[in-house]
Amino acid sequence: MKPRIGFFDFTGCEGCQLSVLNLEEEFLELLDLVEIAEFREVMSGQTDSLDIAFVEGSICRPEEEERLRAIRAKTRTLVALGACADTAGVNALVRFRDAHQVRRHIYGDDHPHLATDLPRPLSEVVRVDCRIPGCPIDGREFLDVLQALLMGRPPELPSYAVCVECKLAELPCTFDRGDICLGPVTRAGCAAVCIAGGDRCRGCRGLIDTPRQAPYWRILEEAGLTEEEILKEFRTFNIAGKGGR
Amino acid sequence: MKIEVRHLSRIEGHAHLVVDAEHGEVRECRLEIVETPRLFEGILKGLHCTDVASVVARICGVCSHSHSLASLAATEKALGIETSEQTRNLRRLLAYGEIVQSHLLQLYFMAVPDYLGAPSLFPLAAARRDLLLRALRLKKLGNDLCQVVGGRAVHPVSLCIGGFSSLPEASPLQDLRRRFVAALPDFEATVELFARLEIPAFERETEYLCLQEKGYPLFGETLVSTAGVHASVAEYRSVLSEYVVPHSTAKFARTKGKSHMVGALARTRNAFAALSPMARTVASALGFTPCTTNPFHNLQARLIEVVHCVEESIRLIDRILADGLRPEKVQPPQGGGCASAAVEAPRGTLFHSYVYDDRGRLEQADCLIPTAQNLANIEADLRAFAPTLFPLGREEFTRRLEMLVRAYDPCISCSTHLLRVSFV
Amino acid sequence: MPMSTLHDREGVERPWRPMSRAEIEALVRSLSTAFEVIGVRERRGRLTLERIDDPAELRLDFPPHVHSPKKYLFPNWERLFRFRTAGGVLLEPDTAAVPRVIFGMHPCDLHAVRILDHCLYEGEADSAYRAKRQATVLVGTDCTPDAHCFCSSLGTDRVEGGFDLFLHRLGGGYLVQVGSDRGEALLRRHAPAAADRPGDPPIPLQAKECTSRLRFRSESLSPLLEDAYDHPVWKSVGERCLGCGACTLLCPTCYCFNVRDRLDLDLAGGERVRTWDSCQFDRFTRISEGADGRADQGDRQRHRFFRKYRYLWEKHRRTACVGCGRCSRECLSSIEPVAVLNELFEERSTPPPAPDLLPGAEYRPQPAQILSVEDLTPTEKLFRLRLPTPPVFTPGAFLAVSVFGLGEAPFSIASPPNAGAEIELVIRAAGPLTRALHRLEAGESVGVRGPFGAGFPLESFTGRDVLLVAGGLGMITLRSLLLSILARRSDFGRVHLLYGARDVPHFLFRNDLLEWHRSGIIDCRFAVEAPRNEWGLPGAEVTHLFRELDVVASRTTAAVSGPPQMYRFVNPLLLRLGFDEDHLFLNLERRMKCGLGKCGKCRINDICVCECGPIFPYHRVRHLREAIER
Repeated sequence: MKPRIGFFDFTGCEGCQLSVLNLEEEFLELLDLVEIAEFREVMSGQTDSLDIAFVEGSICRPEEEERLRAIRAKTRTLVALGACADTAGVNALVRFRDAHQVRRHIYGDDHPHLATDLPRPLSEVVRVDCRIPGCPIDGREFLDVLQALLMGRPPELPSYAVCVECKLAELPCTFDRGDICLGPVTRAGCAAVCIAGGDRCRGCRGLIDTPRQAPYWRILEEAGLTEEEILKEFRTFNIAGKGGR
Repeated sequence: MKIEVRHLSRIEGHAHLVVDAEHGEVRECRLEIVETPRLFEGILKGLHCTDVASVVARICGVCSHSHSLASLAATEKALGIETSEQTRNLRRLLAYGEIVQSHLLQLYFMAVPDYLGAPSLFPLAAARRDLLLRALRLKKLGNDLCQVVGGRAVHPVSLCIGGFSSLPEASPLQDLRRRFVAALPDFEATVELFARLEIPAFERETEYLCLQEKGYPLFGETLVSTAGVHASVAEYRSVLSEYVVPHSTAKFARTKGKSHMVGALARTRNAFAALSPMARTVASALGFTPCTTNPFHNLQARLIEVVHCVEESIRLIDRILADGLRPEKVQPPQGGGCASAAVEAPRGTLFHSYVYDDRGRLEQADCLIPTAQNLANIEADLRAFAPTLFPLGREEFTRRLEMLVRAYDPCISCSTHLLRVSFV
Repeated sequence: MPMSTLHDREGVERPWRPMSRAEIEALVRSLSTAFEVIGVRERRGRLTLERIDDPAELRLDFPPHVHSPKKYLFPNWERLFRFRTAGGVLLEPDTAAVPRVIFGMHPCDLHAVRILDHCLYEGEADSAYRAKRQATVLVGTDCTPDAHCFCSSLGTDRVEGGFDLFLHRLGGGYLVQVGSDRGEALLRRHAPAAADRPGDPPIPLQAKECTSRLRFRSESLSPLLEDAYDHPVWKSVGERCLGCGACTLLCPTCYCFNVRDRLDLDLAGGERVRTWDSCQFDRFTRISEGADGRADQGDRQRHRFFRKYRYLWEKHRRTACVGCGRCSRECLSSIEPVAVLNELFEERSTPPPAPDLLPGAEYRPQPAQILSVEDLTPTEKLFRLRLPTPPVFTPGAFLAVSVFGLGEAPFSIASPPNAGAEIELVIRAAGPLTRALHRLEAGESVGVRGPFGAGFPLESFTGRDVLLVAGGLGMITLRSLLLSILARRSDFGRVHLLYGARDVPHFLFRNDLLEWHRSGIIDCRFAVEAPRNEWGLPGAEVTHLFRELDVVASRTTAAVSGPPQMYRFVNPLLLRLGFDEDHLFLNLERRMKCGLGKCGKCRINDICVCECGPIFPYHRVRHLREAIER
């Protein structure tokens, strides 16, 4: 019997599930290997047990917690799909604001049904077996992780930084044009797509295991950033907001 | 009879459908939006103008390009930055790409299963492989166009204030043009498929609202509706007001106290004459007329728009390549200001409005999202449609109501990111 | 694979023929029918090395800020073979290398290819590299160095061979130099008009002007680093390093790689691929259970420097760096080899500034008290001195001893370095100065300078068997080494001492010798030239002792110390026994005068003995014609 996989989403933009669908032909080949048992965005129906669940989005409310626990209970391997699930993504920026005030500002009043907890990554609620970082995820990496799981070996993410892929792509260094970039401390695996597009790395894939904080901070400080600005730079996608410190 | 469909499938984001009807009368009819509010306004506040577009893209994975385009337009207007014709052409091309991929995703993956009696397209992988392959092939065209122009299919990376931080190359554009032309038989087959679908008969008058520009609406400065709205985009808040309903984490929006519709059907109705020749051919093949008031005709309108965008993309690529792609010096943004801008996103008119302080930091942001505008109309339609379905039995009753919701292609992930309310 | 088949008849004088830009473009067009043509072109506002479809796009004059051709000869992603996950027949398509021509090889990059050849053809040649290398035609062009280039310090700013064609700029056009038979044939086939042209005289290769320069000769790099293994500079470089690996990935000679399996989508098969790896990465040296032999970034950077400037120098007699500057150009933390190496060099060559540096101060001896004087032989006395401060030295170092009015002379230190401020010297009465010293008694003072010189690296002996070969006064130096070894006896394997002298009374340290011999703590063998002697030894040279010697050369380190003529016989014996050149140390004492590397009296060819010696590993001096009497 084919392994049964499911896709689930919580608070997020569903761009990661879309990136899976965007694999197009490869997605079709995938259907020969696995049975897609649940994928609410493009299919109806639910299932009782799953071999692998790919879960997108962060967890903000008790109902979401409950739904995530239920998914965990029926799943052998749970994979955090994308930045929101992995690190709470951009959602977590709200941690640095006063949520009540923000709600009042947005909705005109602090309606109780709008109350949310602070956005959390999945791993703060349930055990997460492995993760696919990025905002959005890289389709190729999704396939790599899925292949590894199907072959029964632990998936391995690159341990080196985006700089590596940037250099290999022969891209000019973002710092050379006077901009700053999180490439030196951010986990590779995206082929430096943002830098190729003329943007800078904003760290959506999270930090590498051992970011070299001291030299990196020194470089940012030499570029004229204050501590607050450096922290702000890290916060966009990195919940800890400690800037690797 | 009471139905409650939790976590409605084949829509973007989370909503429950609750209908309570008895003795031929609908007592209650709600689209409960249960998606968690992400409070994007709080996230945006304090961001530097150069970071805003890339963060707002994260509001929605399906229409990230539209959010970026609306955001950049608002920022550029606020900071007084002009864009070149090359930039405008490329951004238009990007918008076409997004409409193509978003509409085809909805048509094939979300709508078609309803009409073929399947829970999704996947079980058809064996029996209707041609259909699935065609769906993937066509959707890929839209994605690849976004990828080539925006640098990535989801969340663009090559746009920046004032223009592009990285220009596409000529050869992939030529390649896309060739593939668009080669895909016309696939589009013909798609039109044939949709022409055969049995569309529920249901009519309800409502107000249709969209932007107006010289051609088919995409980046207009004027807001028009079938009820006589004619206002500049800057005044959108006096035309549209938002309100909070207890069963929704998304705000609802309305014009002058009534519900209205935005999106493909609104645009094709309001600007039918501006459609490309091929799109009009498709319209007649589908039996579509611009005076329809059937919300299910959103499907036809979407397919018509897809063909329109493909045809326009081919022309636009020709023009861009004939003009030659030239790297442009983009002036770095300076100072502050405030402005509003709107684009026609796949699901309808999308407004972004910003106030920047003089250091270029975002002080106040307001986004009005198409689905928020459609929510009230969806509920009004459900209310009118449900009584006609009582004889069909519970299952069919539920299925038809779900189909109606899906016809709107609501994007809940988007709609819960509503921002500042103007009447606070 | 021998280089000669690649660059046959290298060095053969061939004509340099004029060629116009238009002709070069025609050549590119023609080559494109048979080869993939690679070159530098502008793409999206930057220069990249890639496929050239339109010859007009080919840039021949470009700054060095471009990737190296390594990416074609040793690509980052290379399929080694295909496999089926569950066995079964597998028909593999021919993986022959794509025939390519790479235009725009700067001299440094041509040198880099030679280094890759050295490394990858060594032992069992890397077949994947070889296939690409053989299928690739290299066309050189010249360049203008930028602020990061330091090719002129490494002699890689010019190149005489290693290319098929080289395009020299001359006025508005080019002179094409043919470097191989293949180059000649290609020129004949694809640019016949140019090939038929009579040759112009070669233009002299121009030395480049690099603003970034090593302040010393590249030959000194290896010894410089040898002494700098524990230098604090690595820690400070490590603290600046981001660990991004850009330095190694962009290096034209770095080729470390990883091998992994890439599965097909259907999991039924896949390919084993190799990808570039970097010694700067976290997982590079990590083994199971997380242990990492080089976990510290400073250690990783040191490794990189040692690989580039020392380890491969020791093997191939050339640095593995070609001075292209890519590593420093792309380093966000500005870790620049030239700056690091110059700093190391300067620190070593400049003694720490003393507060009272009067003119001539470094020549001024310090007083040392004579603690005891002992007769060792009829002609040699052992002096025990106390120096003003405890000296720092390694066995093999020497002390300069003065008698005002009679001058100063160097003497080998006979005691081990661990004896506090006390030091022992053996002095043979041979001239006025030494005879004057022999007249001194305990309690008196002499003037001393030093210790000077580099002695035996004890780490090269640790954990191994030791063979000491002494002749005459050479025993003095070896005693210092031997006592150091005996102080940590258990750190070493078997220790053999072979000691030859004129006659038994001339043996130095006879008490020590007898004690060592009797205790069996080391294996002692003696030879004297005198046929009849009090110890009953057969009259023979020290080489005679090798006959019954039982040593395993591969695990033994040898130290040889004796009169110059002794090396002539002992070295070949040791090499024949299989001693490797890194584990054979020679004491090459010369006329060491100033001890400061200035006076020039102790030079052996270009090496200064008092600074780099007097103890040398054999490989360091093998190539020096003056080192060993032949």
